[in-house]
Amino acid sequence: MAEFTDDIFFATITELNAKLRAKEFSAYELVRAFAQRLERLGPRYNALALPLTAAAIRRARDVDKELKRERYRGQLQGIPFGAKDLLSYAGQLTTWGARPYAAQVFDETATVLEKLEKTGSVLIGKLAMVELAGGGGYSSAGASLFGPGINPWDRTRWSGGSSSGSGSAVAAGLVPFALGSETNGSILTPAAFCGVTGLRPTYGLVSRHGAMPLSWTMDKIGPLCHSAEDCALVLEVISGSDAKDPGSARKSFYYTPQFYRKPKDLRIGYAPVDFAEWAQPSARPAFEQALAAIRETGAQLIETKLPDLPYREATSTIILSEGVSVFETLISSGQVDQLADPHQIAGLKTALDIPARDYLKAMRIRTIVQQKVRSMFGELDILLSPSRFGPASKISEPINRGRSPNEPTPANPGLSALTPAGNLAGLPALSLPCGFADGMPVAIQLVGPAFSENLLLAMGKEFQTRTDWHRKRPKVT
Amino acid sequence: MNQKITRRRLAAAAFLPAATLRAAQTKPAGPPEDLNTTAQEQLRKNSEALGKATLPMSTEPAFSFKA
Repeated sequence: MAEFTDDIFFATITELNAKLRAKEFSAYELVRAFAQRLERLGPRYNALALPLTAAAIRRARDVDKELKRERYRGQLQGIPFGAKDLLSYAGQLTTWGARPYAAQVFDETATVLEKLEKTGSVLIGKLAMVELAGGGGYSSAGASLFGPGINPWDRTRWSGGSSSGSGSAVAAGLVPFALGSETNGSILTPAAFCGVTGLRPTYGLVSRHGAMPLSWTMDKIGPLCHSAEDCALVLEVISGSDAKDPGSARKSFYYTPQFYRKPKDLRIGYAPVDFAEWAQPSARPAFEQALAAIRETGAQLIETKLPDLPYREATSTIILSEGVSVFETLISSGQVDQLADPHQIAGLKTALDIPARDYLKAMRIRTIVQQKVRSMFGELDILLSPSRFGPASKISEPINRGRSPNEPTPANPGLSALTPAGNLAGLPALSLPCGFADGMPVAIQLVGPAFSENLLLAMGKEFQTRTDWHRKRPKVT
Repeated sequence: MNQKITRRRLAAAAFLPAATLRAAQTKPAGPPEDLNTTAQEQLRKNSEALGKATLPMSTEPAFSFKA
């Protein structure tokens, strides 16, 4: 029987696949070791929504039979994973992190989970999330049926949201990779706060069939992993056309870093004010080091900033308008009062009164955002900014506590609204761990034009060959 | 997607992890009035900010997000 040490629990998919092929352990042994670890340690971080150990072990035995017959299905074959509890898995609970849906079971499995199963990857558990992915606007880390997402780097801090369990489970080595979702920052935030690599794909590249809808025009599904290359391997499997998803772009993704431009040929737009003034003081040294590492790749750093547009207000209006349409029955029935976060309850109820003209205005502004950002990519290949301006907040603090009163808001907006702007425009983003502040991970994000995932992942891989922040592990006991 | 809640499935909820059950045991009350006021104020601010943006009449709402 193989001995499973931290070197295995924190290994990348590529490393685990090599060990499986070398028969250092079987898929059954690997899946069982991770599933037991997830069941044992997941609750410590409020990361586990539902263990699926028994079914996972059965599937792992099937994978071993295939491997014995040399039926190889790719690098994810035999690799265990976790999925945010907003993805349906036939016959199992799918709570959306919210008390009113605590007993919800669907008959169908989400397309992304079906695709992963077809390649022989094994789902070992559903992972905790912020209730309803935080669509009503939440104020505290405790806005979840599962309690506050706890950060493996410091149990007094939040793991981020809304893919809270996905971030903490990967960071703590409870799963080799996890699926999360992003409407406006829900992959980037937990990835940054937990020190893992997260990819938000272009809108429409990954099917959302079987995922909880929050905002039909903004929801995306993506991976959280130990490296950029792992994100590429997962994206290759979960992307592709799906007739069951009306938003499907009918495009696939094939990971081809060898064909991508060298970093020295890339023009990367950034705003110095993001790193020097918007960033929290404790995080600035790490961000400076990250900028230096990007420069060392040979890429050309060019100062830029986003056009002056109401990104946050447009994003909020669209998500709330579409979200209350999705959850109208929940709100009108009064069941919304069962949610954990009072701000979210108030946000959803009040949003019923958003006039159509505001939604349409936000969607028209979105058209302008798409045009303006597209024109920026005429002169630039990638936009770069901090994923979040500081490390994870304390669980006891409000999550949007804003800037310290001693620190005035910078006059220059720089790329500070890159997360809402990128989500409005449906653009891909890659969050890369880039150091520590106050003992907690911080990260940068790379944003590219639509369907430029290969470019972002190639640059991410280059960054991670020059740094080892993605290899850092929290003490997990 | 079919969504069914049967008695059998409700019983399955009993197998939720302990953290889930702990969280579910305390039923929160509805939001206090001042939170509703805060939420309304936020919507008003959003509306005001959107209203300030000047848009050509020809700008249609975004309905394609594919490129």
